[in-house]
Amino acid sequence: MTDNGDLDLGSLRITPETPVGYELHPIKKKAAIQLMGSRVWGRFNPNHWDPDYAQSTGLTDPIQTGEMSSAYISEMCVNHFGAAMFRNARIVCKYIASTIAGEVIVTGGVITEKTPKGNGFRFKADIWSANEAGDKKTVGWVEADVGV
Amino acid sequence: MSNDLKPQTPVQAAQTRAFVKSLEQESQTYWDMVEIGDELSRDLHITPELVILYLDPVEDYNPWYEGWRMNSWHIDGESPFGGAIVPPLLVSHFVLSVQFDHTKPFAIGSIHTFHDSEILEPIPIGATVRITTRAIDKYEKRGRRYVRHEVHVTDVANDTLYFREVRDILSL
Repeated sequence: MTDNGDLDLGSLRITPETPVGYELHPIKKKAAIQLMGSRVWGRFNPNHWDPDYAQSTGLTDPIQTGEMSSAYISEMCVNHFGAAMFRNARIVCKYIASTIAGEVIVTGGVITEKTPKGNGFRFKADIWSANEAGDKKTVGWVEADVGV
Repeated sequence: MSNDLKPQTPVQAAQTRAFVKSLEQESQTYWDMVEIGDELSRDLHITPELVILYLDPVEDYNPWYEGWRMNSWHIDGESPFGGAIVPPLLVSHFVLSVQFDHTKPFAIGSIHTFHDSEILEPIPIGATVRITTRAIDKYEKRGRRYVRHEVHVTDVANDTLYFREVRDILSL
């Protein structure tokens, strides 16, 4: 359920005027086991979707593939950088903890650098995903050219 | 199975157990499977349907990626680059199917831990891309073993370099 159904989506976009310190708007997803086990994601490894198998390998419950959290973070970045995320962009993610089936994951980010380039700037932002308790799962950074 | 995460009848549970059993196979660790300098390459046709299969489980409904829509089926789509395009990290997701030699049993106990991805040009939906991986390092850190690869993704038809990546796999 959205908290801000009337949010102006165009206002999310990073522009050359966006300041360092600007916080990216989060997105929220549930690590639903039925999605984690879909064919192009975790189906090939039952640790990603089968509770019995996961417990037999010492996990409390199945864990999500790290790349699903990269996809969540990438969605947030496209919301903010738009077309700039598809040309000469860079995204770095390190998976520091497992996302457990059933957890609700929230992404976040903050602009940390803004370097003049051409007619615009190359922006850099710290990015992450975390559960609702604030435990970080994935951390990294993104760079994209805006107005260049 | 009575797990609340995955409610199942006895029929479904039996089907699940049969599928999991079918995945069991003897395999090497990834560390033993890979030598520095190993290069593997495969071509991937990024169909509109493949993009949907990638996107729906992560619930990303950005219309720029839609080259297929229910009732209309195949459509050109729209994005800032003309027609529908591929999500920024889709090709990264399929690197695993290249760097793990798919003709051999999957190396159990392998965990993807890191990626440094450069998205160089937008990939139009319908493109066939060549994913090439090369093992560039094997290293140990805090008692854990990692295998590092570099990745290049190019257009088979015109050699456009779309994507470049460095990634690490933690091995048993």
